[in-house]
Amino acid sequence: MKYAFFPGCTMAYRLQFAEKSIRMVVPKFDIDLVDLPFTCCPEPNAVRALSDETWLTFAARNIALAEAEGLNILTACAGCHESLSMAKHELDRKPEKKNKVNSILKDLGLEYKGISTITHVHQLLFDEIGIETISSKVTRPVPIKVVTHTGCHLLRPERVLHVDNAEVPVKLDLLCEALGMEPLDYMDKTMCCGAGVRKTNSVTSYAVLREKMTSMEMVEPDAVVVFCPTCFVTFESGQKVANRIFGTDFKFPVFYYTELLAIAMDIPETDLLLAEHRVKLDLPKRDETKKEAEMDMGDSIASSP
Amino acid sequence: MGDNTQDQLLKDLKERARPCFQCGICTSSCPVFRVAPELNPRLSVDSIITRGVVPREGNEWLCAYCLMCDQRCPMGVSLAEILMEIKNISAREGKAPPDVIEAALSLMQDGCLSPISSRSEKIRTELGLPDLPKAEPADVLKLFKATGALEVLETNKAAQEEASE
Repeated sequence: MKYAFFPGCTMAYRLQFAEKSIRMVVPKFDIDLVDLPFTCCPEPNAVRALSDETWLTFAARNIALAEAEGLNILTACAGCHESLSMAKHELDRKPEKKNKVNSILKDLGLEYKGISTITHVHQLLFDEIGIETISSKVTRPVPIKVVTHTGCHLLRPERVLHVDNAEVPVKLDLLCEALGMEPLDYMDKTMCCGAGVRKTNSVTSYAVLREKMTSMEMVEPDAVVVFCPTCFVTFESGQKVANRIFGTDFKFPVFYYTELLAIAMDIPETDLLLAEHRVKLDLPKRDETKKEAEMDMGDSIASSP
Repeated sequence: MGDNTQDQLLKDLKERARPCFQCGICTSSCPVFRVAPELNPRLSVDSIITRGVVPREGNEWLCAYCLMCDQRCPMGVSLAEILMEIKNISAREGKAPPDVIEAALSLMQDGCLSPISSRSEKIRTELGLPDLPKAEPADVLKLFKATGALEVLETNKAAQEEASE
């Protein structure tokens, strides 16, 4: 299966190691990724707030690029996923909007048709590949306790996105369990990380983050697992800012799910990913004898089942 | 903007807000309200329904667009979308906050919201990630012009300059 890969601005230019983990993992499930000249999705809370029409047209251009290649889109960021999915929902339901957008895209030699689907890595792993197949690839379980945060823009609006139950999301927990982790239930699991207002009103944004992380802290997890680069940055870097503002003492390691998946599948060079983390977590080391065997045989042989 | 357009916008918003019976689950579910009660989606909708006034005193920009209100409304009123419409109206009046203007400018210049620095490109290379193809800047500008964003940006720039005088 081949997808037009949409890493999004935040992942591509701030969380490169998370993008790397996706590119490490998906080929093992026979998925190929194609890169296209996408723009920002655009981010729903800044660009769309300025002009709904601009947001819709940019999103349509992105989708039209994939359609021209006959590809479906694979998103990696909750924000991009929501933005593109909402735009598609609008365009497919409102012909007058679609016509207007297409009259603009024509000038770029593009047309939005409504034939490409938008799938997030979360859906690819849970709905398409499935827990059973993922479990079968795990050779190096990760025995840690985690809290999961699926992210607002993967859960809501539930009527459009259908990624998981928006009030009681469980799929990311099950994906974590498949890697040997223990997901912990916690209050405010579906609450926002606060990123949406970080630049408009930072104290308010970090107060939202404080509320969220206080609830996480109550169940004493080893780490936080997310499926959105923006939530990742908010938790990992934002907790330090929250500590400075509110005198809290958060120091949670944060992971984008596919990083842990890459580790659990014992894909070589995952240390590269973890080196970029600002809060480290000691995970069980790779089996040294195996590592040496790999060096002898080469990666391609070692990674085949 | 002409009065006719304003009237039509208010009429549309009223229609969308109409099923609301002011139960307040939107506000009690709002993570921003929890820490900054000046953002109150229930009151925003109340203002539209009972006073016929689109509330845009600035609090609309506190909405994080997390859609919790949207999810929980028992009447299917999409409060986050109503707030988004209010932000659009507010932006056309030159009241967009600086970070929103910045985001739009960044999209117009780089086609991307995160600044693409030489360091961020270097990390991509070090990790063996591919160079991502970029959109034609001329195409990006065309979309900005054709969708009216350039005009909204000009209005906000003028308003900012006026405020600083």
